[in-house]
Amino acid sequence: MNLTKLAIRNARRNTFRAALTVLGLAVAVIAFVAIRTVLTAWSIAADYAAKDRIASRHKMSFVIALPKHYVDTVREVQGIKEVTWLNWFGAKNPRSPDSFFGSMATDPETFLTVYDEVVIPPEQRAAWIETKNGAIVGDVLARELGVKPGDKISLEGTIFPGTWEFQISGIYKPSRPTLDRMSFFFHWDYLNDSVDELRKDQVGWIVSRVDSPTAGAQIAQAVDRLFDEKEIPTLTQSERDLNLSFMGMVSGILKALDVVSIVILVIMLMILGNTIAMGVRERTREHGVLRALGFSPRHIALPIVGEALTVSLLGGALGLVLSYPLVELGLGRWLEENMGSYFPYFRIDPLTAALAVLVCGLLGVLAALVPAWGAARLPVTDALRRVG
Amino acid sequence: MMVPVAYNLRSLAVRRRNTIASAAGLALVVFVFSTVLMLSEGIKRTLGRSGTDGVAVLLRKGSDAELNSGIDAAQVGIVGGSPEIAKGPDGSPQIIGEVAVVLAQPLAAKPDQFSNLSVRGVPDNVFAFRSDAKIVEGRQATPGTDEAVIGKAIRGRFVGMELGESFELRKNRPVKVVGIFAAGGSAYESEVWADIDAVRSAFGRLGGISSMRVRLESPQKFDAFKARIETDRQLGLDVVRERAYYDKQSEGLSLFITAMGMVVAVLFSLGAMIGAMITMYATVAHRRREVGTLLALGFSRVSVLSSFLLESILLALVGGGTGALLALLMSFFKFSTLNMRTWSEITVSFEPTIPIVFGSLIFAGAMGIFGGFLPAVRAARLSPVEAMRE
Repeated sequence: MNLTKLAIRNARRNTFRAALTVLGLAVAVIAFVAIRTVLTAWSIAADYAAKDRIASRHKMSFVIALPKHYVDTVREVQGIKEVTWLNWFGAKNPRSPDSFFGSMATDPETFLTVYDEVVIPPEQRAAWIETKNGAIVGDVLARELGVKPGDKISLEGTIFPGTWEFQISGIYKPSRPTLDRMSFFFHWDYLNDSVDELRKDQVGWIVSRVDSPTAGAQIAQAVDRLFDEKEIPTLTQSERDLNLSFMGMVSGILKALDVVSIVILVIMLMILGNTIAMGVRERTREHGVLRALGFSPRHIALPIVGEALTVSLLGGALGLVLSYPLVELGLGRWLEENMGSYFPYFRIDPLTAALAVLVCGLLGVLAALVPAWGAARLPVTDALRRVG
Repeated sequence: MMVPVAYNLRSLAVRRRNTIASAAGLALVVFVFSTVLMLSEGIKRTLGRSGTDGVAVLLRKGSDAELNSGIDAAQVGIVGGSPEIAKGPDGSPQIIGEVAVVLAQPLAAKPDQFSNLSVRGVPDNVFAFRSDAKIVEGRQATPGTDEAVIGKAIRGRFVGMELGESFELRKNRPVKVVGIFAAGGSAYESEVWADIDAVRSAFGRLGGISSMRVRLESPQKFDAFKARIETDRQLGLDVVRERAYYDKQSEGLSLFITAMGMVVAVLFSLGAMIGAMITMYATVAHRRREVGTLLALGFSRVSVLSSFLLESILLALVGGGTGALLALLMSFFKFSTLNMRTWSEITVSFEPTIPIVFGSLIFAGAMGIFGGFLPAVRAARLSPVEAMRE
């Protein structure tokens, strides 16, 4: 009889208790996977940030615009391939004022070059460039707004007052997760021609595509040096740093979730440890007999560790199998519906799944350590004398 | 007749290790459960306390936040003439026009990391208008100078946010922190209050303000005031109650935290319930002979069932009580997060309330009942003869 078999037999000795433990562990694994997935989905923006893009904004605050002529200055910097600019518009759909989506005014041609992951049929692309009040929307947002190419839509401006009429020229789908599917882009000219003198010829931020991703940091510094002595200085960051700085602001929540996911591990350890300890205590006399027959302490300890591993890995597997429908379809759907702009890609990361299994294995060994050590060390006479 | 409670207590004490392991599991669950509720409550209250009854906020039509709004400063005089506005001691209307902006400022703990800080450009009557706000250290800023006061929640969190230190609103123009203010635990405590003209010139808002606030003679006058202002097309303003304005800010964030918290709490409680069940089944199995004896002595099956159920509830309450106590300790900590409406940081504390503490204990008790019921049924259904024969 080999070790695996013994471990499984031991686990099956009290099938009901083992099943309950597996179930308890499975539930904990689901919670673990759910939380880790929220964390990875949140940080996906940084992980998938385009490596060859840098963004410049006003050094002091994102609420102050930059002069439009900065774009031309930036374009001259060595190592920069193409430059586009965007203004945060803050549109609101009058029919559902509470749902949030990003809306930006930009220059279509340079935008499509800098953001080359924007996939849009050629005729829609041409229509957008030609139509002055044309706009493109992400496929998820298009579904939410209920629009298709050729439709007209009026949106309220929260920053630029009034009702704005747009023509939907196209629906984009990003080829990489570097851009979300919930945004609305339209002509900067359309905005600029309608605003008052004070806000004319201003851009919110400038995005540049650089020749080589490794030179990004140097080029960013070169851009900032250009404006350092000017009245309006800039802060240029890689797209990744920009996303990270946004996440830094929510780091409190992320850290809390991190802590919670560790608390889960402790709870798992307790459930499992309790079960194993109970089983070992009940079997004290058997262990005494085995030792008396000449089996070494190792022979006592290893099956206990094996039993713990069997139970924990079963729990992990069951939890993982259940996580996919529960986390992706249940929680994921809720988050996409209610907070789609923060969680554009809510999927269980393969790494998270692997981590869950690994953690289960480790916890199994850990939970068995104390009972196994105790059982292996117990003097034979004591063990035989012990009453269950 | 009931089985004495002492029997359960001593039985829990005898199986110390199992009791501690299951109670600790339950304690962790209750700890997470009540901490989440306390945080959500903290966010709601911090923002809720920022609103005062009888105060109305005026924004440009269509903007839903001060940050997006822009109003001509000359309108303060026009709106100030409305008869619904309360008069101050000097007979002038209680109205205040402010500029709200966001400043990227490095964090004191990690100077290479920037976070957004709310900066409010305030006129000289700001402390008169917000009577809750009091200087707790230092002094008020001298109007028309590059001096500022800061809320106590951000003190020491950002670079330069300390009495006597300074920060830059624009290049080469340091603003000195001369005072720290408290504002009844509201969101204002996460703000910097600087001179309105200094903020205006730094942020290119000359001649403009973000919002106006007025104190009405009584909260009942709100509808009349709103109707008067909003029907005036030339003004182009929206009027909202200050309370409603801040309640709306807490919505998104506390929705997310509550939803996450509930998912976690439900899953955790399932796990802890199963943990308690395992312990209780083991307890019942160990004590088959005792149960047999109890039944033989004439205790009814209902008594045995309730005894085991009681033991499970006791176990859960010990765990739940520990968890709730640990959670109360969290109220000494502060939590900084992004207010998604203002795009800047807000510092809140974990706020325990009596419903949260009792709710956590009830939650723990419920886990005890559900975890203990099936094992208790098994105990009650034992046959006394067979059980004693073992």
